Amino acid sequence: MTESLLEVRGLSKSFDGVPAVEDVSFDLQRAGTLGVVGESGSGKTTLARCILRAIDPDVGTVRFNSENGWTDLHDMKARDLVPLRREMQMIFQDPFSSLNPRMTVRQIIEEPLLVHGQRNRAKRLDEAIHMLELVQLERDSLTRYPHAFSGGQRQRIGIARALVLRPTFVVCDESVSALDVSVQAQIINLLEDLQKELGLTYLFVAHDLAVVRHICDRVLVMHHGRVVETGSVEDVFERPQQNYTKLLLSAIPSPDPDVPLRPLDRQALGL
Amino acid sequence: MSEAIALPAGAPAVQAADEQQLATITPRELTWRRFKRHRLALASGCFLGVLYLIAALCEFISPYKPETRNVAAINAPPMLVRFFDLDGRFHLRPFVYGYDMAVNPDTWMREYTVNPSKRYPLEFFAKGDPYHFWNLARGERHLFLAKGGYVHVFGTDQLGRDMFSRVFYGARISLSIGLVGLVMTFVLGIVLGGLAGYIGGWVDRAVQRLTAVLLSIPQLPLWMALTAALPPAWSPLRVYFGVTIILSLFGWTILARQVRGRFLALRVEEFVVAARLIGARKMRVILRHMLPNFLSHTITTATLAVPAMIIGETSLSFLGIGLRPPVVSWGVLLQQAQNYQVIVMTPWLMIPGLFVVLAVMAFNLFGDGLRDAADPYNTGGQG
Ligand SMILES: Nc1ncnc2c1ncn2[C@@H]1O[C@H](COP(=O)(O)OP(=O)(O)OP(=O)(O)O)[C@@H](O)[C@H]1O
Ligand SMILES: [Mg+2]
Repeated sequence: MTESLLEVRGLSKSFDGVPAVEDVSFDLQRAGTLGVVGESGSGKTTLARCILRAIDPDVGTVRFNSENGWTDLHDMKARDLVPLRREMQMIFQDPFSSLNPRMTVRQIIEEPLLVHGQRNRAKRLDEAIHMLELVQLERDSLTRYPHAFSGGQRQRIGIARALVLRPTFVVCDESVSALDVSVQAQIINLLEDLQKELGLTYLFVAHDLAVVRHICDRVLVMHHGRVVETGSVEDVFERPQQNYTKLLLSAIPSPDPDVPLRPLDRQALGL
Repeated sequence: MSEAIALPAGAPAVQAADEQQLATITPRELTWRRFKRHRLALASGCFLGVLYLIAALCEFISPYKPETRNVAAINAPPMLVRFFDLDGRFHLRPFVYGYDMAVNPDTWMREYTVNPSKRYPLEFFAKGDPYHFWNLARGERHLFLAKGGYVHVFGTDQLGRDMFSRVFYGARISLSIGLVGLVMTFVLGIVLGGLAGYIGGWVDRAVQRLTAVLLSIPQLPLWMALTAALPPAWSPLRVYFGVTIILSLFGWTILARQVRGRFLALRVEEFVVAARLIGARKMRVILRHMLPNFLSHTITTATLAVPAMIIGETSLSFLGIGLRPPVVSWGVLLQQAQNYQVIVMTPWLMIPGLFVVLAVMAFNLFGDGLRDAADPYNTGGQG
């Protein structure tokens, strides 16, 4: 558990001069799960996408411990990144817009294999069927189009697509927040099982702190693009050091219905 | 989404089977299903299909060549194809009655009266004027001809030329201008709009300015100026292509804007980001993920540009600056019907106008139906 998989140093990204992510640094341990929390607009998605180079950060380095040793992601050409895409994937937030409506499930799951040069049809199909089993979907889903599935099922398809290349590092950007609570629990359990089975490392972006507390072992709290606090789940949730973290935690609904909800005291914190 | 698919409310078992089928249905089939529910659009589509078929086969469908003159029937009114003769007897073979012509001493106009003794039965697949089908094959068979006489279903013009034949020869030109223009519009719109949307930066700005400028110029005067600039010595074929190019000059701007907008919207769609994160190359992302998701919309917009071009051709030719005789188009035909006398004395010369109206209306209805059916998943909008 001590080996690092990812090293982020001084990552910044601004849109039209407005900083979205500022000077973010952290390490991610192999087979660990790092939660990234913060209110809406705090730069979580931007951070996640910068790490995977879906967008180019302005400054900062991202080093990834790939099969071939440590690689700097930030100064690579898009073309050279392609082989690394095998090892890092993303599971998206919106189960509806993250699947191409004009492709069948089979095409969706097989596409990563095709892109990475698997020319053998039978092998691709075998892989796709295996992935479906892994995410607990029926085999006859293969010929269907995404519109025929519920949100939870679509999210499973998205997971199958992300995992079919056998990545080691998976970014989940609010991957369960668009789902019903009961479905959320199913998907979270699935993600946990897959982590154990495949030895995955997760970067888990969420604003639902209860979910983060459940699935993550380390947490990074973001506010206005900056990291305000980082530490193990117990430390951050039980002994928060920063006011902002306390504020965030106070917004978690208490499981006890007799304890009244406290509204965010923004003014006291000058937000 | 389910309301858009029209599930018949039946027994649960039936419904389950139907859902099973729906799940594997291709996007194209889904579009077709939705389109079929627009009866008017479907009917318009069929009508256009028939019209284009006739236009394609006009040498064969028309009894005469467009320039063939019948001096025995100048400015003759349309003839009625009959099954019953004036004595009320039924004939299996349809026929027409020939005319007797007399000049009215007051108006000096030719007046025609039906002469029952001139009974011309129609003959099908009969030999008549020889023609050169699409400049490919020679032929002389016509769908129908009148044995021993003449048949003018839509009457004749001032020179005794058969309007029925001329309308369909004209259809070939007028309808194909729309299609050829459509292809050009389409290519220009997709390429320029796509470049603007995908590359962005100065390319985007240049295309944006160009469309803004083109859209701010009133269409008709520019068309007139440009067609007037076509060299008068040009052959009819070159004039035809010149006019087509001029007409498609505007169509692409609207299309390019739409394509650009779609590109920008799709570029940030999660499934496009997902494709990039898989490691798919640019071309694959564009062709496999972006294009299919806005192509149907684009085709629809383009379909709605066709009637504008048909009207454009008609207007220009009507004003005498588009196509010119001996080319036969609906606009050219209407030019002959320009004067007031025609409306009163020989209203059948305005039949080409009726066809313009029908074709344009059918295209608009058809395009509307397509537009509604084009996007079975409402991509670009919410789920
Ligand atoms: N493509 C973009 N162009 C301009 N500004 C952007 C872009 N993407 C994000 N931003 C801005 O960057 C800031 C951070 O956005 P980001 O999406 O990373 O936040 P987030 O923490 O993921 O929020 P949420 O919880 O709502 O998903 C926001 O102020 C947002 O408006
Ligand atoms: Mg986000």
